[in-house]
Amino acid sequence: MRAVLGLFTYVDALLEAAGRLKDSGYGVTIFSPIPLGHEIEHTLGGRKNHIRYFAFFGAVIGFIFGVLLTLGTAAMYVLPRGGKPIFSITPTLLISYETAILFGVLISFIGFCIFARLPYYGKKIYDDKVGVDSFGLLVDNIRDNKIGDVENILKEYGADEVKRVEEK
Amino acid sequence: MATNLTESGMEKMPYKEVNDDVVRTMTHSGKGYYIALALSISVAVLAWGLPWAYQIFTGQGVTGLHSPVYWGIYLANFIFWIGISHSGTLLSAILFITQTPWRRSIYRSAEAMTFFSVLTAAIFVFVHMGRPWNFYWTIPYPNQRQLWLNFQSPLMFDVFAISAYMTSSMIFLYFGSIPDLAAVRDRVTGWRKSLYTWLALGWRGTDAEWHWLSKAYTFFAVFIIPLAVSVHSIVSWDFALSKVPGLNKTIFAPYFVVGAIYSGSAGIVTLMVILRKTLKIEKYITLNHFDKLGILLLVMSLLWSYINFLEVFTGWYADTSFENESLIYRMLTPPFAYMFWLMIFTNTFMPLLLIFRKVRSSIIISLIISLGINVGMWIERYLIIVTSLPRKFLPYAWHDYFPSWVELSITVGSFAFFSMLFLLFVKFWPSLSIYEIKEDIGIPMQKEKGH
Repeated sequence: MRAVLGLFTYVDALLEAAGRLKDSGYGVTIFSPIPLGHEIEHTLGGRKNHIRYFAFFGAVIGFIFGVLLTLGTAAMYVLPRGGKPIFSITPTLLISYETAILFGVLISFIGFCIFARLPYYGKKIYDDKVGVDSFGLLVDNIRDNKIGDVENILKEYGADEVKRVEEK
Repeated sequence: MATNLTESGMEKMPYKEVNDDVVRTMTHSGKGYYIALALSISVAVLAWGLPWAYQIFTGQGVTGLHSPVYWGIYLANFIFWIGISHSGTLLSAILFITQTPWRRSIYRSAEAMTFFSVLTAAIFVFVHMGRPWNFYWTIPYPNQRQLWLNFQSPLMFDVFAISAYMTSSMIFLYFGSIPDLAAVRDRVTGWRKSLYTWLALGWRGTDAEWHWLSKAYTFFAVFIIPLAVSVHSIVSWDFALSKVPGLNKTIFAPYFVVGAIYSGSAGIVTLMVILRKTLKIEKYITLNHFDKLGILLLVMSLLWSYINFLEVFTGWYADTSFENESLIYRMLTPPFAYMFWLMIFTNTFMPLLLIFRKVRSSIIISLIISLGINVGMWIERYLIIVTSLPRKFLPYAWHDYFPSWVELSITVGSFAFFSMLFLLFVKFWPSLSIYEIKEDIGIPMQKEKGH
């Protein structure tokens, strides 16, 4: 499908253009060299934060893993040591604390990879300039007879460069 | 009022200049860099690698370890390096949560410092082992007779805490660098292009990617803070859970955590002074950064001194002969007394100079104070171990410990090993955070905001 990429110098101009195009029913993606979280939320609405479930369940799974590892292995081979308890609470909690955090971090990282769809090494629409000092606005979901209109809107809002790109 | 300075005190500049400068630090190396790298590799091999090989081949008898002192300078180095590791990731996470602007220029190198010092510390565990090839015995793995680890041993807590900390620090460092690795990917050619394409995971800087990055990063920061605190508490319990006079103190966990943040912050100051000069990045690491780090050092110094005083006081207040003996041995018996009072001078009195703004803004005095603090912190760890174990309960078992040349050489080598890792890091990794410095510069807006 055809898409149009506009490169902007100023973020407010880009966001105004993005807001108008989104309201008109186009799909918009914003590229930026810095995070624009609040600014984008303000114009285009907020996003959900699913990572928190990954962080929470990661930590819970890690904790259970720690408990099973310490108590379970003690049960597998009962080895009395100088009157010390076979199932000891403090070390169990300590090890479980560490594994809870470790699993929380690892599973949050996996969550990030799933939602951000990374790693991806294939070809996707991208312009090197958005890693430096340009802000990109990719508009897709455009009918063929509307491409000219979209390009004009982008230029009207002050895009420095507008180009047609091919979406996979 | 419009100002030309950013929130963190840097001069504002075009975004492109940040990319140019950071890529330059990675791709342009002078003769001095190669000399430093060659020197650090050589010293690491000669002072660490070879004596360690000799120790493995000959046995632990080549060290000064002898009954009743089986923990010596190796474990002092282990705690020292774990301590140095503390400020990087922990400070970065705390400053991220509190949204402190001056974090942005320094945190990347600080996090790298964490990772490399944990690595150096971890290798000391191997050096300390008589049979390092049996290291895997400390890792839980299924085995035929179901004979698992003894999880009630503080040394096992260590294995878990440090592996979790090392893994999490590595992820924290890598994760925060992904957008910068992509920025570098777009600028370089040849083998570097392939390397950074692979490392950047295909990052394009879309709004969705930034959204998930910032959410996940916040969780990482939240996870890292309690983890870092637990790691050094657990390291302290290696000692505090024993019954040795001078070691079995309940104050050890906070004492170690505060000491670790203290030495780590001093490590950051030392590193920043060297980095900004050698990489010519003075405009990113400004006097304002040193001013803020100076205040942090001052606060940590006061905290550390207070806990240090308490540690001595509680021992003295208990008034048991064993406890008194270990205090006399540490504080009044040469050569340890010289070391102890030097530590008090460098870590309690010298940092008081940081009360003055002029001192905090002086690079050279900051460097001297930070180096002094780390000398003091190394002494602290050394004294904790080597003045407690030789004076246990029964005087007929007393035996003084002095490190042998092998132990001293490996200690020197560890500093070279750390330097080598860091020198490689500055060429392979963006040592400044490109996107966060840009955030500090501000978002380019056509219409000026009202405030």
